[in-house]
Amino acid sequence: MKILVPFKSVPDPNDATFAGEAASASKSVINPFDEIAIEEALRIRERGEATEIVGVTIGAPSVDEQIRAALAMGVDRAIRIDDARALDPYAVARILRAVVEKEAPHVVIMGKQAVDDDSNQVGQILAGLLGWPQATFVSSIEFLDNKTRARCTRETDAGLEVVELDLPAIITTDLRLNEPRYVSLPGLIRARRKPIEVLTCDQVGVNVRPLTTVLAVARPPKRPAGTRVESVEELITKLKQEAKVI
Amino acid sequence: MDFAWSDQQRELLNAVGRFASQQLNYDVIENDREGIFNHEAWKKCGSFGIQGLPVPTEHGGLGMDPLTTVAALERLGYACKDNGLLFSINAHLWTAVTPLVYNGSEAQKKKYLPGLCNGTLIGGNAMSEPNSGSDAFSLTTTAIKKGSRYILNGSKIFVTNGPIADLLVVFATVDKTRGTDGISAFLVEKNSPGMNVARKLEKMGLRTSPMAEVFFENCEVPEENLLGKEGGGAFLFTRSMTWERGCILASAVGSMQRLLETCIRYANERKQGGQSIGKYQLVASKIVDMKVRVESSRHMLYYYGWLSGHRKSVYLEAAMTKLHIADCWVKCSEDAIQIHGGYGYMTEYEVERELRDAIASKLYSGTSEIQRNIVASMLGL
Repeated sequence: MKILVPFKSVPDPNDATFAGEAASASKSVINPFDEIAIEEALRIRERGEATEIVGVTIGAPSVDEQIRAALAMGVDRAIRIDDARALDPYAVARILRAVVEKEAPHVVIMGKQAVDDDSNQVGQILAGLLGWPQATFVSSIEFLDNKTRARCTRETDAGLEVVELDLPAIITTDLRLNEPRYVSLPGLIRARRKPIEVLTCDQVGVNVRPLTTVLAVARPPKRPAGTRVESVEELITKLKQEAKVI
Repeated sequence: MDFAWSDQQRELLNAVGRFASQQLNYDVIENDREGIFNHEAWKKCGSFGIQGLPVPTEHGGLGMDPLTTVAALERLGYACKDNGLLFSINAHLWTAVTPLVYNGSEAQKKKYLPGLCNGTLIGGNAMSEPNSGSDAFSLTTTAIKKGSRYILNGSKIFVTNGPIADLLVVFATVDKTRGTDGISAFLVEKNSPGMNVARKLEKMGLRTSPMAEVFFENCEVPEENLLGKEGGGAFLFTRSMTWERGCILASAVGSMQRLLETCIRYANERKQGGQSIGKYQLVASKIVDMKVRVESSRHMLYYYGWLSGHRKSVYLEAAMTKLHIADCWVKCSEDAIQIHGGYGYMTEYEVERELRDAIASKLYSGTSEIQRNIVASMLGL
């Protein structure tokens, strides 16, 4: 079985630098949900159910560090679609469809969303474009019937939902699926010998343009400092007249 | 001179920083209070690759050059707040691992190095004795050859990793009349009959790095565990000490950088008299001094690493590097407390611990006075 894992490079959520102010200064990492997808693919391979894991990402050469991190975790080879534009979910899904058609994986496992824009759309749109079944927000994956079907547990607001789907399929990962391993130095050194294939959109035969444009990114307004009241009466008056909540 | 890192080095350093900040900084305050060694963090460091940094790849290491190694340890010190853990790693690397790499037989390397690299084995050395510290070669522990074994007798003190070590490099004399030429090194495994790891020693700082007294009472060591030549212990010790002096405070440079950033943040946030305290020249001046200390320490460290990697003599530079960084680390920690005022003295701010941890750097691996003696002797004094 071949697994394709699309992943996105995002600003490090543990780095306090505000991306809107100094995007170039902040460190990038693999989107944490995609890291969970990579980990799951590795575990599937480790239990003998997959033979190859291919990573794919879209971006400028600067994302190669995240590609090598994925390779260092254990991904066999990687593809970078060389496109530095800020693409929206529809454009990303169309590029990924072209990669899926080229690679013909048995299953695509990817994060449910990226932590930078929180769109939560690419997996779903990709499934729609391919006409494949999908299981989103997944917290467990099990393959059935000689790996022609998968049983997945989905985390929904109503509770845990168990679905079965035919392969090939799209599976998007939720937080509780696993805890990703860390990139080790020996892994990083091995990763240098693994191939990264760089392709343009033209080469995979897709022409995309973003349908949405980001106009501005701003910090949420600062919360004003609180004030101390002298008495309960004053508090009640303020709640009535200033806050107007009672 | 080229001060730029290659892409590969930068990637490695970033990976070290990310690993350490995410995996090693839990329970540090409690472990410091209780004097608990974080064994799980040790194992993580092993599987991540820290303990194998300077070890050739054929023995399970990463084969990194000295400059990359010290830079990686610096990054580790920046991202990991558990100085005791780092001290244990340093003791392991420079007093057990490097002597094995340089002086071990093929069989010894094969037997011990992979485990020492991957985190399953912990190493250390036993040199200091109750009556021989700075004058290390006046040791009195004896090793008498009896058939195919050496019989060790004597006592060792300040044995870093003593309570947790799987393998100790023990220095003893095969013949006191031979003086320095009688000193030999032995690989002694944990639970060897006749070796007794006695009381754990309570310390001011580096409390998460366990230390003990170790006694040898007719401790039998097979002759194949002689490390290097009989009588070659002093040379071996001097070489491993040079490595140790050059590298052991690499993580301290990272600690100082972290302290500096903590102080800058605090000086900008903390307001007194209607302005940030960083606007007061007396505070700013302290922070400037910290910055200069970090940078000068880093330059000495990298220069040592560069020289060592180019196989040039580093005897003098290692001593100067150790002397300078130890001084800077203690002064930076003291300034950091002063900048934080009363808060800096409080455990939860994690600044006071740094001073307690830093002070030992003027004592271990040769006191600052011994480093000065070395420098003076190299200057022809």
